[in-house]
Amino acid sequence: MRNPFQDFQTVSFRKKKIPLSRIVRAKQEVMEHILEGYLHLVEAEAKDFVWLVEQSRVLKTYNEAVNHVQRLNYDQDDIEEFCGELDSSNKVPYMIEGPAGIYVSALVNQLGEDRVVLRLKDYHKNFHLLGYRLPVGKTLILQGDIGDFTGAGLAGGCLVVEGTAGNWCGAGMMHGEILVAGTAGWKTGEWMKAGEIRVEGWIRGIGQNILGGKIYEQGKLITPQHRGSQ
Amino acid sequence: MDDILKDIWTKVRKRHFFPELPPPKYDQGESRVGLDIKGKQITISREFVEKMALKLDQEDVLEGLLDHAVSHYLYCPWDLATHLKLYAEAKNVLKDKQMAQIATDYFIDIVADTHCVSQFDSALINLYRQLDKGRLDEVAHAALQRIWGVDLGVQGHTDISRKLSRLPYLDRKHWTESIRRFAGSIQSFLENENKQSMGANSSNPMGCHTLGQYSSQEIEEGLTQLANEAATPNDFKEIVRDFETEISEATRLGEEAMGVGPGHSLDADILYYMKLAENYLLPIRKKHMEASGSLYPHHHIPWEIGHPYQDVDPWTSFGKLMPAITQSWKRHEGEVFGREEGVPDCVLIIDSSGSMTNPRQELSYAVLGAACACDAYLRNDARVAIYNFSDADAGGRKILPYSDNRRDIYRTICHYFGGGTRLGVENIETLQNDNIPDIFLITDMQIINLQLLIQYFNDCENRVTAVHIGDNKHVSEFRRSMDLNPNVGIYAVEEKSDIPRIVLGKIRDFFY
Repeated sequence: MRNPFQDFQTVSFRKKKIPLSRIVRAKQEVMEHILEGYLHLVEAEAKDFVWLVEQSRVLKTYNEAVNHVQRLNYDQDDIEEFCGELDSSNKVPYMIEGPAGIYVSALVNQLGEDRVVLRLKDYHKNFHLLGYRLPVGKTLILQGDIGDFTGAGLAGGCLVVEGTAGNWCGAGMMHGEILVAGTAGWKTGEWMKAGEIRVEGWIRGIGQNILGGKIYEQGKLITPQHRGSQ
Repeated sequence: MDDILKDIWTKVRKRHFFPELPPPKYDQGESRVGLDIKGKQITISREFVEKMALKLDQEDVLEGLLDHAVSHYLYCPWDLATHLKLYAEAKNVLKDKQMAQIATDYFIDIVADTHCVSQFDSALINLYRQLDKGRLDEVAHAALQRIWGVDLGVQGHTDISRKLSRLPYLDRKHWTESIRRFAGSIQSFLENENKQSMGANSSNPMGCHTLGQYSSQEIEEGLTQLANEAATPNDFKEIVRDFETEISEATRLGEEAMGVGPGHSLDADILYYMKLAENYLLPIRKKHMEASGSLYPHHHIPWEIGHPYQDVDPWTSFGKLMPAITQSWKRHEGEVFGREEGVPDCVLIIDSSGSMTNPRQELSYAVLGAACACDAYLRNDARVAIYNFSDADAGGRKILPYSDNRRDIYRTICHYFGGGTRLGVENIETLQNDNIPDIFLITDMQIINLQLLIQYFNDCENRVTAVHIGDNKHVSEFRRSMDLNPNVGIYAVEEKSDIPRIVLGKIRDFFY
């Protein structure tokens, strides 16, 4: 008698694997670790959802961020994607701009690559404190308009802003170079000790307390010759 | 060569679980571009195949091209709505139509081909290896090398390929996010290409993806879905305007369905409300209509010689044609059977005063509600007359006599005056006829002469469906005044989801 099920034989099927799934999975794991560090930082630093920019607090937050990111293995694409996550808030329940910027800066500063390009122009949210403590030998290129305290405490690195910078650009920078393709806001260079800030557009106002360094506006040196708000 | 194509097509179809696609055919296309898909018909360039056959087996060339084409149909973009959504995301990033189109093409190629390669051993890999590559092709192929784990013969482009290879191409849920990042990553390459004038020389060897690849029905469905998902009319317009020619061409036959026809430019606002209205099918309560003079079978009588044969009822005549046995229908134009249910015409009164939303700037619930009502009457073969008013006495009115032309109807309801609010009851009266049409009113009720309208509704015999947008003291006044009038049904619309609750011509239950 003919087996009526003989046509329904078991066919072995080997699921093909391509590297894409591995790449995506690895990337997701890294992103989970980066996000975990950020959330931990925010919970520790901004329990009341209020975060004031004070030098000691910024430094403490930065050190905590560095402690966490030192253990991670990531690249600049992960940083850019993390910025995207902060902007879209899909996985980040809250974005507090100060700690977020410090955390991104810590990620950049601890990265093994010397040249980091972050495309931020498609994002809706402002990123503050980017380029914080950028060390010697590192170049950070920020594409898009950036928030306040850009390049604060710059520690010898080269920060390029392909857009506009907000207020307090280069505040407390120790040395290094900041190049802004667009305009800069109020208090530019406040408390800066050394280094150069070059703004290709106009500067809304420079800081009252500039301890050293040079500020150029549209190619023209405006400090140390002229101090005070313009 | 044709026989080889047939054999390969059988193999490819089986591998893709027999997609519903017509057999592919050859065409004398150009040698650079291998594929063209129009209305599901895959056309392969004979010259391209001959040229590629010098480097590769002809079977491999055909198999690769067909795998590519079928993957587009089965996986990405899958339908027009997805295609347009991807394009919209790319355009948001790139701000340029041509660049956005190219980025979308590359993205959906990568997704479709990656899906194909992840499922089975496709000849696509061999084909890609041998293709002539422009600069953008090199970038895309460098990324493919990484994500497929094969050598496609591309050197360099390390940074960009690393960036592109991170995107979850096979995760449909994240396609919109992925294409944004994809477009952002290749923007500088696109701009460079743009400077060196992107044209025929840089066309994708696997073919470009135009709206021509979709059938008219798919375009209609895609636009309906797109209108439903667009947050504002502007979002819809932004996309539709970029494909105005293709959409107009594709929908040329559908004057009835789409409202755009030969010689007319595409009005994206009208199209938006038209397609959005198709998502809400409002029910109409049918009404007893007057007798039309037709005779209806009423009761049986014995058939006699001389009676017409066509009245014989074979079911009660035992199959015989004999006097006294055979039964015949006696036809009456009686009161009972002389009345039948039907849908009367409709007079649609829409308020487009300053207190109403401008339908061309934001989604207007009034226009959408009116569009849904029109759609419902037209689908029931009734006609619609429109009275669009603002300050009617000051000339702020637009009257469309009874019509079944969707284009004219939608154009009239989309018209926005933005002035004061006064309607002319005498204008509505001119639209009355002997068949007592239904009246559909949509307004925020902030009408200066509302009392006049209330009185008119109390006096007339028409079934009135009144829809108010928002709530205010005038609405309360109208509701209170109409409380005892069983002919008037009142509905509130605060958001889109309220629209399907409207029942047109519903007379209160106790009336029956």
